Amino acid sequence: MIETQDLRKEFRDGRTTKVAVDGLTLAIPPGRVTGLLGLNGAGKTTTIKILATLLRPTSGTVRVDELDPLRDPKAVRHRINLIAGGERMVYARMTGRENLWYFGQLYDVPRAVLGPRIDELLALVGLTGAAGTVVERYSRGMAQRLSIARGLINDPAYLLLDEPTLGLDAPIARDLRRVVARLAAEGKGVLLTSHYLAEVEELCGHVYVIGDGRHLTEGSPAELTARTGGHRTVRVTVPGASPEVEAAVTAFAARAGTVAGLDRAGDGALVVSVSHPGEIAGPLTMAIVGAGGTLAGLEVTEPSLEDAILALNDAAWLVTA
Amino acid sequence: MTDRCLACSLTPEAEPVEHRRAQAGGGLRHTAKVFRAEALKQHRRVFGSRLVVFSMLVWPLMQLAATYYTVRPLAATPGIAGRWPLAADPERLLAFLATGALGFTFFFSLVQSAWHFSFERVTGTLELLFLSPAGRLAIVVGNGFGALVQNVWLFACFMVALFTALDVVHVAHPAMYAVVFLALLVPAVAWGAFLNSLLIFSRDSAFLYTLLDDPMWFAAGVRLPLFALPVWIRVFGSVLPLTGSLAVVRGALLDGRTIGELAPTLLGLGALTVLLTLGAVAALRLGEANAQRTGRLRLF
Repeated sequence: MIETQDLRKEFRDGRTTKVAVDGLTLAIPPGRVTGLLGLNGAGKTTTIKILATLLRPTSGTVRVDELDPLRDPKAVRHRINLIAGGERMVYARMTGRENLWYFGQLYDVPRAVLGPRIDELLALVGLTGAAGTVVERYSRGMAQRLSIARGLINDPAYLLLDEPTLGLDAPIARDLRRVVARLAAEGKGVLLTSHYLAEVEELCGHVYVIGDGRHLTEGSPAELTARTGGHRTVRVTVPGASPEVEAAVTAFAARAGTVAGLDRAGDGALVVSVSHPGEIAGPLTMAIVGAGGTLAGLEVTEPSLEDAILALNDAAWLVTA
Repeated sequence: MTDRCLACSLTPEAEPVEHRRAQAGGGLRHTAKVFRAEALKQHRRVFGSRLVVFSMLVWPLMQLAATYYTVRPLAATPGIAGRWPLAADPERLLAFLATGALGFTFFFSLVQSAWHFSFERVTGTLELLFLSPAGRLAIVVGNGFGALVQNVWLFACFMVALFTALDVVHVAHPAMYAVVFLALLVPAVAWGAFLNSLLIFSRDSAFLYTLLDDPMWFAAGVRLPLFALPVWIRVFGSVLPLTGSLAVVRGALLDGRTIGELAPTLLGLGALTVLLTLGAVAALRLGEANAQRTGRLRLF
């Protein structure tokens, strides 16, 4: 398990001090994908780099399977690896296979293990056919996939993923998500940051939300969505709606403490949109039908993690302001 | 990308082999692996074209020729045989300059490779090196060694052929060839490791490239004997390992000196090598600690 306690990281630039991470306490257990969310500048990458031993915390503690990275960095580095989005982190004049071999040597992977593992990883990221091609001839996506294979070369117990699907084509990103889920299912601890919140929602069993380096909240994606009072949006299409229907919808929304959106579609049908945290699809349609309207369409959009993160960030911003 | 399982070692029950090996030690073997891998990586990164032969042979030869034909008229200077006997003999003058060119190629190739190494920061791979458990000194030494071997082997072969043709080499004992080889190789590798250590951390150390080009060949006595230089330049030259290496090479190959006669120079060279190595270790430690504190490892 990776654990942090009251993690704080300050960067000094002359007389000014910027607090990038402020009192974070996290747990990244084996066998689970843990999400770390926040807007740009929230402190996600700084946190990941502290866990990867690339940065030293100003205060607070980090433990990786009870090991202290400050005292035993080599043992910790054998247990972790970092994959960041982008295609820069490989050697352009070396082939894909040479890159993986090189990093295998840095991690002291035994020769008997390294060869089969390189083959396995190349297959995993779909680069078997390009294994002998120099990376400068790879496409951006291929180079990024190689970077992902590089991050797995030491068979890390913990994998730190910083925007791993950034810039990847949709099918490749989907396959990577499958791989990440598989790795977690096989026992690896994974920490994931991503701007694609659907990705976090799909993969993460637990999510930490941070803002300005501070812990805002945590929980499963479903819990976060519910906790932040996410609104379902109900859209009802009513063809040939009379003024009585419009009045009934407006009155219903007012009673529910919200406001109804009333628009006309191209064919003249009334499109009613009502957002509310509760289950209002039934009562709303009853009100429409009761006023003499007929239903041509009903769509309910569940609140998303994205809505929750935005709400949390707004709340944090208001508190700070 | 296919959705395949990794090797069986990914199962949670199996502690990965390298974790166990790390805990069990094996540091020396790991160091050797890192050293070899870094040397090979250096080769693959820098030698992407056959045109590199120009920097390996043609360019040093042109420099040697230009120097020789610049200094050659000195032979006609009245009384030169009394002040610098070697200059009066064209073949010995050529041998003197050739040893200087060989030594300079050894050391300056490492300045170039260190400059190349600093691009790891630009390409984003430097962070990956520091993310790994590999020994930092093994990385910079391996990188320097790889650069050295690939940069000098062709020119060194040419120099051996030249010395054989000139018949100017007279060693006190055949073992002195080994002394000469080591006096060039070991300080040069330490020099390369030191420069690598400085250049990978500092964005502002590119001036070293300029400082260690012309000033180095001048102050180290590559093309002129040290006694012809002002004292302050000789003081500057004394801290350059190339100066000591050239003194050993020329003393052993051209003057037939024994190891006993060269002992003071060798001791000085050895001390300088140790200092450079310690300097590299200190620079790596300080640089990594600073990068961990400031987060500036990735800036360029």
